[in-house]
Amino acid sequence: MKFIDAFVKGLSSIWLSITLVSLLALLTWLGTLEQVHTGLFEVQKKYFESLFLVHQVGPLPIPLPGATLVMAVLFVNLILGGILRMRKGASTYGILITHLGIAFLLVAGFVKAYFSVDGHLTLFEGERANTFESYHHWEIVVLEKLPDGKLREAVAPEGRFLKSEDGTRVVLDSAELPFQLEVTRFLPNCRVMPKGPMFEAPLPVIDGFFLRGEPKAKENEQNIAGAYVALLEPKTGVRREAILWGATSSPWTVEADGRTFGVELRRSQYLLPFVLRMDDFKKEDHPRMTMAKSFSSDVTVYEGSTSRPVKIEMNEPLRSQGLVLYQSSWGPSNARPGDRLFSTLAVVRNPADQYPLYACIVIAIGLLLHFGTKLRRYIRSEVREAA
Amino acid sequence: MKRLISVLCVLLALCWAPAAAAQHDHNAPGHVPHEAGPMRAAPWPKDLIELAEGLPVQDGGRVKPFHTFAGFSMLRLSGKRSLTTPAGDRLTPTEWMLDLLFFPDQAHTYEVFRVDDIAAVREFGGPTDGKQKRDRWSFNELAPHMTQLFERAQSYLAIDEKQRDTVQTQVVMLAHNVDEYVRVSRKTSFAQVKLPVGASAGLSQVFGGREQIHFSELIAKVDDLRKLQEEIDRDPARSGEQEPLNSLLQRAVDLVESSEALAMFPPITDATAKPAWLTPSDVLMGAFSGEGRAEEHLSMLGDLERAMEARGDMPAMTLALASFSGRAKQLADRRGEYEKVPLELVYYKSKLLDYSHYAFVLGFLLVAFLWLKPSSKLLYRATALSAVTAVACITATIVLRCVIRERPPVSTLYETLLFVTAVGTLSGLIMEWINKKKLALSAVVVLGTLGIFLANRYEALDKRDTMPELVAVLDTNFWLATHVTAITIGYSAGMLAALLANVYLISKLFGIKKDDPTHLKSLSRMTYGALAFGLIFSVVGTILGGIWANESWGRFWGWDPKENGALLICLSQIAILHLRMGGYLRDFGIAMATAFGGTVIAFSWFGVNLLGVGLHSYGFTSGIHTALWSYYIGQWGLMAICGVRHMIENARKEALEAQARPKEQFAPARAAGGRAG
Repeated sequence: MKFIDAFVKGLSSIWLSITLVSLLALLTWLGTLEQVHTGLFEVQKKYFESLFLVHQVGPLPIPLPGATLVMAVLFVNLILGGILRMRKGASTYGILITHLGIAFLLVAGFVKAYFSVDGHLTLFEGERANTFESYHHWEIVVLEKLPDGKLREAVAPEGRFLKSEDGTRVVLDSAELPFQLEVTRFLPNCRVMPKGPMFEAPLPVIDGFFLRGEPKAKENEQNIAGAYVALLEPKTGVRREAILWGATSSPWTVEADGRTFGVELRRSQYLLPFVLRMDDFKKEDHPRMTMAKSFSSDVTVYEGSTSRPVKIEMNEPLRSQGLVLYQSSWGPSNARPGDRLFSTLAVVRNPADQYPLYACIVIAIGLLLHFGTKLRRYIRSEVREAA
Repeated sequence: MKRLISVLCVLLALCWAPAAAAQHDHNAPGHVPHEAGPMRAAPWPKDLIELAEGLPVQDGGRVKPFHTFAGFSMLRLSGKRSLTTPAGDRLTPTEWMLDLLFFPDQAHTYEVFRVDDIAAVREFGGPTDGKQKRDRWSFNELAPHMTQLFERAQSYLAIDEKQRDTVQTQVVMLAHNVDEYVRVSRKTSFAQVKLPVGASAGLSQVFGGREQIHFSELIAKVDDLRKLQEEIDRDPARSGEQEPLNSLLQRAVDLVESSEALAMFPPITDATAKPAWLTPSDVLMGAFSGEGRAEEHLSMLGDLERAMEARGDMPAMTLALASFSGRAKQLADRRGEYEKVPLELVYYKSKLLDYSHYAFVLGFLLVAFLWLKPSSKLLYRATALSAVTAVACITATIVLRCVIRERPPVSTLYETLLFVTAVGTLSGLIMEWINKKKLALSAVVVLGTLGIFLANRYEALDKRDTMPELVAVLDTNFWLATHVTAITIGYSAGMLAALLANVYLISKLFGIKKDDPTHLKSLSRMTYGALAFGLIFSVVGTILGGIWANESWGRFWGWDPKENGALLICLSQIAILHLRMGGYLRDFGIAMATAFGGTVIAFSWFGVNLLGVGLHSYGFTSGIHTALWSYYIGQWGLMAICGVRHMIENARKEALEAQARPKEQFAPARAAGGRAG
């Protein structure tokens, strides 16, 4: 019991809060400087979305807790020490409210980290879509064209085959499919190369081609994944091998059990609860300058049998059914006046979308209450002193 | 007619290429042959200068007074806002710009191109005799070496901006400046020469047998020329007339410059339909492409031609320019673009910011005397008066800027400097008003003097309009008013706290007011106050920034360097306040930590922009490196000295206590540390 008491006491101590806040500051600082050399995505993974990390100072490795761990402990510390065990009284209400707001902000962060999905939707003017695509995640999909003309997809998200990065075999199967798909190696960034006579290919050669691994690009979006897969038909025992590459435009077509399938490695796709049509994209420059004044996409949203026009522009996203769509990018960059343009909308599903606003209001009230009281007391004492 | 247009288009495209190189390559299509032009004999008359200063022009995406345009052009080229001619006259930017437009050959003798390292001039074989390491060159001095300059600059442009050394950077900048200079100078070259009509019956008929015509007369006859072209096309016998017609148009095109800088002709249509103002080149193109020509524009071209012809006769020139200015104002006013121009002129001419600076400096001097003679009521009042005046002036400066641009107070890095200074000094004045200990007042004059000095330095380094148009994502008054204002107030209070903490450290280090125990205590309380005030705005401002990011980019937090900087400020302030709360730090420790917090703010405010990554690198911040590092090193150095001194003092005190203590008694356990302050 004594041990537990001491543990809770330590966990709720102000000393721990100070240590955690300082650690978070240190991580933030290191993670900022690191961005000069490494891309944001890698830095985020290493410093901010991790439990532990090793920071190199020259040849000296320094182990540190990751920001996720620090914030998780800080949350517990805040709840225990800053809310539950804190002395309650007229002079601490402001602080209490502030701590509640901060705790809520941390909750928002965790909800966003574990329950949000983000990606983009890129459409030329006139095109429409009901899916959006991830920036970072990959999936392997088996497509089958059904007699009624529709496509049936069996999808394996990257979580199921990422471990084959080191050559571990992973078997993907589904009751719907007459075969198993074996992933023998996954490469997070690679190019397809023809095998020439003068060199040894580092990885298996299939139909004269092999995948050459590349170092990861600074911007994660630039990585193009590839995978060696094999299709196993348990009935016949036939094994067929193939290379899948993330930048191909058509799937690998195979016949199995008298049916035709397509197998594809692609960026993860998510279904939108509506159909969106890109009607018009407009980019306006400041007069006589090449600096953009505004970007906007006129779109039509089809929900069931109804449709409505929406204008999405900088600082004015479209919010609908838990999704938020933002004006993110456009192209082609070398377009001449009158050319057909495409517009990229960033799509985010984040249940904690509005939490920060509420947290901000709570924190502001708490701080104003606390320091307002202090200020009033200070002025009163100064006036008394002066008198 | 199609032929006419295509000829014009090709010709215009040709003279788009480096204007400056063309200027001195006599075979280049952009070259305008002219004999040495007249020199200005008398100073510019006052009424003409006033006319010119208030002339509305469009530059950098917005309509502004000619005075603003000329001021920043000169600042960009020469690093200051005045110029001494070889004859020893001092010129204002407007006078210099008028010389460039109407007496170019004279303006070319002015040493206006500043180069920070003479090695850059040696690099392309420019003249270096009699020049200092950092000096200014005239256009005429550089002119013979133009080709080499542009070749060098071209090759350095291929190097990534960050990889260029200082000499390469200087060469590129000089080439850029010379190019801009020549482009601006060519905005009136259409008025400097007359066009020879050429031997052609048709042309002669169109222009009533005259041998030479003005540029504006050519545009006035666009319909007749179009008819002439049709007749030539129809009648093969008249094909000989094609050549003179083409040659006339070619000469007209040679006279105009189509670059983006300095548009002085407001379109006659409304501002939303046609936001871009016109240059003589656009007027020419518009007339020939069938868009039509406006009588107002023809008259304005005529005004400039008359002003040019009247060179030497200042009253006549003034009259012509008055007519031009009147038409420009009327057109701009009709488009709703003139309203703020006079106010901006008042803003720059009133020099409110300079007065604020003088008053702060005066206050600074007075404070020095006040500390020597603390009992003097008169000195105290004088200091307070000068500080109040200074704060009032800088506040008025910011208010005027808000009114002119119809924006919240902070939208550029330059404006953060003004706003931080204003808020910091205003808070200091309020503190002084409450406790009247002279400490806050001292901080106010130091902060004000330093803040405006830095703002002026920043403006001179950045060399661009400080009230510019904004990129799309920033163009939102709601978020500028909430997030940016809050975070900047946070910077401001944090810097004020750091300044007070430094006063504490220095007081302690030099034993200032050693016998007054309330001195350090008051400083400590004020530091705490500023810190608390700052924390509210830093935290709220940072979260608001996240909410804005969520509105525009779809994520609340992305670990972008600027976001991280803001978070660092919040975390450091939270850590300090908790260290104080937990009794881990007393007054001295708080002062040390808060002073360190100042460097954290500087890192977030300017330092992260120097990293050159992330979404917030909008400010042009090269050259700020040195200032920033001087501050870091100075601050950390002071902290180190104070820290060592503090430790020695503590050790001495302990030794004394140990001596004084009876030997057989054990030392009492130290109190765990209560709440300080």
